[in-house]
Amino acid sequence: MEIQQFYYDNKIVKNFIYATLFWGIIGMIVGLLLSLMFLFPNLTNGISWLSFGRLRPLHTNAVIFAFIGNALYAGVYYSSQRLLKARMWSDFLSKFNFWGWQLIIVAAAITLPLGITTSKEYAELEWPIDIAIALVWVAFGVNLIATILKRRERHLYVAIWFYLATFVTVAVLHIFNSFELPVSFLKSYSVYAGVQDALVQWWYGHNAVAFFLTTPFLGLMYYFVPKAANRPVYSYRLSIVHFWSLIFIYIWAGPHHLLYTSLPDWAQNLGVVFSVMLIAPSWGGMINGLLTLRGAWDKVRNEPLLKFMVVAITGYGMATFEGPMLSLKNVNAIAHFTDWIIAHVHVGALAWNGFLTFGIIYWLVPQIFKTKLHSKKLANTHFWIGTLGIILYALPMYVAGFVQASMWKQFNPDGTLVYGNFLETVTQIIPMYWMRAIGGSMYIGGTLIMIYNIYKTVKKGVVVEDDLAEGMALKKISSGRILGESWHKHLERKPVQLTLLATITILIGGAIQIIPTLLVKSNIPTITSVKPYTPLELEGRDLYIREGCVSCHSQMIRPFRSEVERYGEYSKAGEFVYDHPFLWGSKRTGPDLAREGLKYSDSWHFNHMFDPQSTSPESIMPRYQWLAENTLDISETQTKMKVMKKLGVPYSDEEIQNALIHLENQALQIEQNLHQDPTFVQNYEAENQAALANGETFTPIRKREIVALIAYLQRLGTDIKIKESQNTN
Amino acid sequence: MGVIYLLISISLIIAIGFLIAFIQAVRSGQYEDSYTPPVRILFEDTPNEAIHKNKPMNKS
Amino acid sequence: MKKTNCYHCGNECKVANAVVFDQKHFCCNGCKTVFKILHANNLNGYYTFEQAPGKIPEEISGQYDYLDSAHIAKKLLDFDSDTTSIVTLNIPHIHCSSCIWILENLHKLNKNIRAAQVNFPKKTVRIVFDKEIISLKEIVLLLHSIGYDPYIRLENTETKKSESTDKSLIYKIGIAGFAFGNIMFLSFPEYLEADEFWLNQYKPFFRWIAFFLAVPVLLYSAQEYLFSAYKGLKHRIANIDIPISLGILVLFFRSAYEIVSGNGQGYLDSFTGLLFFLLLGKLFQQRTYAFLSFERDYKSYFPIAVTRIKNKKEEAVQIYDLVKGDRILVRNQELIPIDGILINGEGILDYSFITGESKPVEKKSGDKIFSGGKQLGNALEIKVLKPVLQSYLTQLWSNAIFQKDKTKSFQNITDQISQYFTYIILSIALLSGCYWYFTDPKISITAISSVLIIACPCALALSAPFTLGNILRIFGKHKFYLKNANVIEKMAKINALVFDKTGTITSSQKQKITYHGEPLSVHEKKGIKSVLRNSNHPLSRALYDSMRNIETSTVKNFTEITGSGIQGTFQNLTFRIGAAKFASTSSKNNFLETAVYININRKSKGKFIFKNSYRKGIIPMFQILKTNFKLTILSGDNPGEKSYLEQVLPNNCSLLFYQKPQDKLNYIKKKQKRKEKIMMIGDGLNDAGALAQSDVGIAVSENVNVFSPACDGIIDAHVLKKLPELLKISRRAIHIIKASFLLSFLYNIVGLYFATTGQLSPVIAAILMPLSSISVVVFVTLTTNFTARNLIKVKDDNYHLKTNDSKILSLD
Repeated sequence: MEIQQFYYDNKIVKNFIYATLFWGIIGMIVGLLLSLMFLFPNLTNGISWLSFGRLRPLHTNAVIFAFIGNALYAGVYYSSQRLLKARMWSDFLSKFNFWGWQLIIVAAAITLPLGITTSKEYAELEWPIDIAIALVWVAFGVNLIATILKRRERHLYVAIWFYLATFVTVAVLHIFNSFELPVSFLKSYSVYAGVQDALVQWWYGHNAVAFFLTTPFLGLMYYFVPKAANRPVYSYRLSIVHFWSLIFIYIWAGPHHLLYTSLPDWAQNLGVVFSVMLIAPSWGGMINGLLTLRGAWDKVRNEPLLKFMVVAITGYGMATFEGPMLSLKNVNAIAHFTDWIIAHVHVGALAWNGFLTFGIIYWLVPQIFKTKLHSKKLANTHFWIGTLGIILYALPMYVAGFVQASMWKQFNPDGTLVYGNFLETVTQIIPMYWMRAIGGSMYIGGTLIMIYNIYKTVKKGVVVEDDLAEGMALKKISSGRILGESWHKHLERKPVQLTLLATITILIGGAIQIIPTLLVKSNIPTITSVKPYTPLELEGRDLYIREGCVSCHSQMIRPFRSEVERYGEYSKAGEFVYDHPFLWGSKRTGPDLAREGLKYSDSWHFNHMFDPQSTSPESIMPRYQWLAENTLDISETQTKMKVMKKLGVPYSDEEIQNALIHLENQALQIEQNLHQDPTFVQNYEAENQAALANGETFTPIRKREIVALIAYLQRLGTDIKIKESQNTN
Repeated sequence: MGVIYLLISISLIIAIGFLIAFIQAVRSGQYEDSYTPPVRILFEDTPNEAIHKNKPMNKS
Repeated sequence: MKKTNCYHCGNECKVANAVVFDQKHFCCNGCKTVFKILHANNLNGYYTFEQAPGKIPEEISGQYDYLDSAHIAKKLLDFDSDTTSIVTLNIPHIHCSSCIWILENLHKLNKNIRAAQVNFPKKTVRIVFDKEIISLKEIVLLLHSIGYDPYIRLENTETKKSESTDKSLIYKIGIAGFAFGNIMFLSFPEYLEADEFWLNQYKPFFRWIAFFLAVPVLLYSAQEYLFSAYKGLKHRIANIDIPISLGILVLFFRSAYEIVSGNGQGYLDSFTGLLFFLLLGKLFQQRTYAFLSFERDYKSYFPIAVTRIKNKKEEAVQIYDLVKGDRILVRNQELIPIDGILINGEGILDYSFITGESKPVEKKSGDKIFSGGKQLGNALEIKVLKPVLQSYLTQLWSNAIFQKDKTKSFQNITDQISQYFTYIILSIALLSGCYWYFTDPKISITAISSVLIIACPCALALSAPFTLGNILRIFGKHKFYLKNANVIEKMAKINALVFDKTGTITSSQKQKITYHGEPLSVHEKKGIKSVLRNSNHPLSRALYDSMRNIETSTVKNFTEITGSGIQGTFQNLTFRIGAAKFASTSSKNNFLETAVYININRKSKGKFIFKNSYRKGIIPMFQILKTNFKLTILSGDNPGEKSYLEQVLPNNCSLLFYQKPQDKLNYIKKKQKRKEKIMMIGDGLNDAGALAQSDVGIAVSENVNVFSPACDGIIDAHVLKKLPELLKISRRAIHIIKASFLLSFLYNIVGLYFATTGQLSPVIAAILMPLSSISVVVFVTLTTNFTARNLIKVKDDNYHLKTNDSKILSLD
């Protein structure tokens, strides 16, 4: 058998790099647009698909899955081919992976602005797209594993292990978090409700960060940093040890996103303990990465791409130190719901993922195009602008978060809140939002410079789409009994496997028995007074989801004096039993709404959503005027109720039968309430006349979306209030 | 909170999967030499000229 | 004149024989050839990773002929099927990235080699090939041609020691660690919030999972502790594993009981954690140096085969097959595996392997020759008197001492302590049990089990491994490599030191050459050097090299008279250089010294005396050692140096000469009878017996990568002078261990308070046990490093590490 020659597939890598740059810039620009909306709330006035609530998920998805995702693929496809001395197993799967992923992104870019979303953070995409994601991801995994099986290099470099871990865990997480029951082609409800939904969501949410933004990038770090610096990793043993310890505990850390919520305390504390433990393996990786460059600082000084990597690794270190700190309950009490978290995630995204990606691209493109980078000078400029941008972004956000948190918690001697009006705490931090916007645009500026630099490099280079390489196929020899090894040696390994297989079968068996039962019935103690939503409220809730209100308004009052004082009775697990999905939110740009019901009149809500500044001057909430114009779509109301019933919401059959009548009546009631406001009546009548004049059909207010949303808002948190009033009399 | 069963079972199964992977790796001697591999990755492949000038049909 | 260094091997190019190719300078044609080979196969990458990574290939003819014989070659293979063969070759020259690169690109040099994989720490290359197309010999010659000669010796043919020796420990740690992590995760909720609505519903679920995770830990990870405890009981030896196993079992079964009966969560996290830490300790203690071997005997030096001359035909034959009367051919650089009589040829035998004496011994035909010598001249023909196994040298290994395993008899400090420990714990357990039995019977069982749980000497068992393991590493950093941790404990007990002389306290590398007689003019020196240049005799070479910056020129009518010396005419002078009877008028030859006599124009001028130079700092070292240790020097050769040694060495140091290997061994035995704890320091195979017999046998080595006899430790020649400090450290180590024992006892007392009062809860156990273990580990690690740093500085002008050594050091 002679030496085999084969070709590395560079084309796929090239495509992914282009995709990375393209989506990267889009995602960042959307981000910038959002940051500007904090300063000019009505920037995109009246354009529903450019409203903040709808664009925010687009930003997060574009950055995480489009920008970082494509970068991840580019790096993995390049490095694993070389580490395994083999072309990717199937060109078709590679292509399928590429085009499939781009298609998914496009789908996301269309559906999210249209308000088609599940509202679960980083899992907003609706069920058909979820399925597509699963398919493409599995294709990627199959391709990777098959390549590993036909590799020509016996040793599996540590990076490959990181890639494997990424594939397996992300697949499982994505699938289990996306259990949804479809209502229609583009609408579904999460099978889990309230607290359970929250737990699953953040079990996923945290691990999405862990296994999509961290493990694969550690793998890339272990390949590209040594390559770029041309020196072996500082301690290979450390890399192996910290990989395995990371894998064994990362998956437990989820609940730290739900501290002080209605999640049972022990589950919260569990999250805390494991999040804190995580610091060890994380820093293992960081130290290893930095020390790899020890003694090569001269190289770093005149190699911009190494500078990017240094900052990236440092950023990783900071973020992974801050993370555990943030999951300490007392710190979390301050930071949660504020811009501190925004700062935290952007240190991770901009520095760790962003800069590592840039470093890798600056190294990869010349490699693939067999040429030198067009201009080191430009790369350096990019580095400095970018770094400055990160600092200018993060610092103000830390301050903002801290200021706001402290203002939320300040009491007067008489026991009333110093800043009773939430708005005061917002206007305070506007300057910080300004700086953030500037920092962000600098970062984008840097990225644009890079794109130009890369463009020039590509121009002068020649793309080698298939890179010639050679190697010898591995022969299966190590397996079985090696010459000279005694049979006894060979056999004595067996008990290990047996015990293991036994354990795993037991567990799988257990899981199979449990899962079906728990998906439907949930044994959370229900509060008798808590009733399912009325048809109109249900529709209103779906509007709330569509408009992405959850990205600025939480629905989770934590058991702090300050919050109870500001918003009312703290939230109880029992209140959310019918919430498919949960809408607790993770950020309070506006006040919490968990007890919003009956606080204000219907007309107040109408005016507030029609023109927020009219009811609360200086408010940075955008106008939602289309809600006051669009007709409410009630074609699916009954199916929605049926689906809810399947999920264990106790709607009786006649309730579903008479859904529409009930809806009509409730709407009518609200319409009447609105008519108590003279100015409203005036405008409303005027509109009516105009319509008649032009011979258009005029939809009465009760048939419009706004009514449903008002109905929902007026219901929020009232069940328990009723209970209290009942108790009082 | 029945979902706890689900989460823990999944997490455990994944973890055990990795444990098995770990043992297999050690068994097949993956970690016997922890010095050479990191050096090896630094070598660029420098193949001799393509044996068959025109690309072989089978690229892999 | 500017120096140019060889592009291939980095040696200085002597202007005389400069070789230039492709604008690159080479020190010799050998290096050039290698470069050409690599260049032709566009493998220039070789020179990019490391500067001048190469080695001058030795021109040796027919050295690998024996590989032609199929069944000898077969013995070397790891794996052999009809299409695929695998051989693992040891290549001492492997020292840098370039080596890895070139060896793993072997297939570029020869298409028939399928793949080659380097294991750098072990300095081996694993080659996969098809023996139908390419023979093992061809491969070896290919390696040879590029300067990577494999080191193939008799031992390679012995059954391969299977690679996967103690992987099981790793599995055990993996499983224990995995179970520990997850069980901790499952136990935490109950610690954090004992009684909560939802939690109460899942407690059983959590507990049972924990239980299932713990089972493999008991059955597999805990195995060796339970077995060893059982053995201990059987042989009435109270070793540390008895209390440990006791603790383990109680931990597990009490937990099991609590879980089954549903009235508690048990101590499974403590249980798994305990084993995890214990096993980690074990792992930490076994510091192995992949590139060293402490188990060497003559097999590591002897060739696999020699050339036998049978009715005028040469044939490769395995040395075991040699019988009395056979005639063998020994070529240049080949080793003599048997005792025999020199039939013809001029023997210049280097016995440094055996004696550490680098000065070659000369043999004329008819002389008796002992095995172990390496021929430095032209081929010899030798008649076998004693075959391999009865030879003078190999006899030594028939001695019983090589059979018995030193570690067996040795009872380490932990076990010594633990025997008392066990009894104390048991009695405490019983006492508290009785007490409770009379006051509150329900608690008595709880109390007893709690005592056994909390008193489980985890910290106790950890302190020694971590202390000693750490010391091993520190020693390793100072190029003092020990076989295992026990050696340190033994070192601490040493009260007598025995040194071999030649090659141990003297350097076998450089000799001191002094001239005695009428002073020589520069012109005469020129002449001498020019004449020497024509001779290949080792002494001539040594002398030639010693005469630096003296040019040479042509010599007329040069002749070499075997066994006597050389002569030649340089301009107007005729030189005779050699033995006394040849070159000196006074033909009395002083046997106690090695000298080369100079005679110019029939007139004896004087002599160059070759003396071994003592290692730097050795003599002062003896002065330091004399206070605490009985000192002895055992020398295999003549008392030529006696007078000198007597005056420089402390007077309590006894000197013995003409010591045969067996004598050395017996001497050690004799001393040991007198209850002396002896450390033997030697270098050659002739010390092997003594090294094995002594309590601690340390082999001195100029370069740790070349092989040294079986021993408990290998010390780099440069650091030998640090012996006093090293011994001191090992003593301190024992103090540290004892101190840490106290520490862990303190923890035990605290724990025992909870236990005996029957109020030990899982939480307390879960906190106390890891806490004690960790703090003990931290304590010993800090103290050991601290003491070591105080006693020896790592920075030492005296040994700048060679690239390969530094690489090796960077491995751990």
